Amino acid sequence: MKLLSYIPVLVVGVLLLYAAKDFPEWGSPDAPASKSPVSSHFIANTGVDTEVPNMVTAVLADYRGFDTMFETVVVFIAGMAVLAILKNSGRKKLVKREFEVDAEPDLIVTNTVRLLVPVIQIFAFYVLAHGHVSPGGGFQGGVLMGASFILVALSWDLETALIRFPLNWTTILGGLGIFLYAGIGLLSMFLGGEFLDYSELANIFPVSREMARYHAMLGVEIGVGLTVTAIMFSLYANLSTEGRLQRGL
Amino acid sequence: MTEYFAIFMGVALFILMIPVIYRIGAGPTPFDRMLAVNVIGTKTAVLLVIIGTLFDRVDMFVDFAIAYALLNFVSAIVVSRYLNRTISLDEMEAKENAKKIKS
Amino acid sequence: MSLDQTIFIPVLAESLHTTTSPTPLQFFGILLSLLGLFFFVGTAVGMIRFPDFYTRMHAAGKGDTLSTMLMLSGFGLVSMEDLSMGSWLLFFKIMGVVLFIFITCPTSSHALMRAAFEDDEMPMTEKDLKKPSAKKK
Repeated sequence: MKLLSYIPVLVVGVLLLYAAKDFPEWGSPDAPASKSPVSSHFIANTGVDTEVPNMVTAVLADYRGFDTMFETVVVFIAGMAVLAILKNSGRKKLVKREFEVDAEPDLIVTNTVRLLVPVIQIFAFYVLAHGHVSPGGGFQGGVLMGASFILVALSWDLETALIRFPLNWTTILGGLGIFLYAGIGLLSMFLGGEFLDYSELANIFPVSREMARYHAMLGVEIGVGLTVTAIMFSLYANLSTEGRLQRGL
Repeated sequence: MTEYFAIFMGVALFILMIPVIYRIGAGPTPFDRMLAVNVIGTKTAVLLVIIGTLFDRVDMFVDFAIAYALLNFVSAIVVSRYLNRTISLDEMEAKENAKKIKS
Repeated sequence: MSLDQTIFIPVLAESLHTTTSPTPLQFFGILLSLLGLFFFVGTAVGMIRFPDFYTRMHAAGKGDTLSTMLMLSGFGLVSMEDLSMGSWLLFFKIMGVVLFIFITCPTSSHALMRAAFEDDEMPMTEKDLKKPSAKKK
């Protein structure tokens, strides 16, 4: 049976490789993605409109800001759903696990993690703030930041990590991130523009309209980063212990 | 010159990864598989720097390499912890009973 | 068929036409990378040939760390085409990755090894070699 299942895998693989021959060349100007008027508009105008060198960040946080906002909301809803399903302290005994975790921190691993966690967190801030120039941004920085807390929870145990990042904070921070994002959008709406039209922020801050978009993008990315960090850690803490928040993985 | 060398190194790394991939498939214990995955993960950081050399954007690809090495480390710790610290529930109860008797 | 015909990446094909001889620093970097490749050959052979988990761990843990460090520092030197501020910054960034791997790689090896030991994975002894069933492995 296992051998039989290789046949469809091979057939599909060969078909996909055969189809890959018809792809346009890498970086070719005739590719459908480069031909469409939208992408040529972005390529021509991001540098002029927003002064952001990295086009992807500009498209993600500015031109398609509405899309990214609800992506963040989806992340937040996922965290809330896991909390709602698992954090039911009333029926602890119904969930019977086949194994239990014998928590005893390893000396070498904990000392390495002690060295690494500050470096990782600084790198996460770098990725978040440097997203205007190089690849990076709120989602990536948030994942790295959440990974640092997960690393603490893995090498000691979950209680140690929960002292540093309590579970109530994750809900508050996750909400705060979306509040920051939507707040910047609403502020620009009250100043006379449309929702998430950051250039109107130049009315209250002493910068040009282009730089207002530049800086508002950073604020938006910080909001996304907060939400992703909080929800990453909350998901790990709940899923690895089935909502009991004891002992950890 | 350096581009030809980078292509050579990339191809050589891919060829030398084949035995390691064999160990992922054939490893008798889960630890063998995880070890091979770990080796490939660290080599991917090198491959990212090689790709950066080919595109003349090493400054960009180094960031990917750091992030990849970090996530590789986290995955190794996760798997080792998952495989290490899990004991069956009966053993756990026996341990707790022993603690109670002691105190 | 020459090499730049087979490679269809336009950026790459352009840079392949301008062949410049490497500087001494780049040459040293190439040597370091080749040394790293040599150690990775050792890892790859060890992953296949060694009989049990702990010896494979020996091959993978040492050879992998050393070869990755050598290759990365070699490519750090290769990417230094001039001695400007930008290339020095790049070199130190790559050295940061090297330091990162120098710390994390042995630690993950140690964690895996400890996990295997506490999971009662026994090392292969002389008795196992005499058994006929060991030959299959």
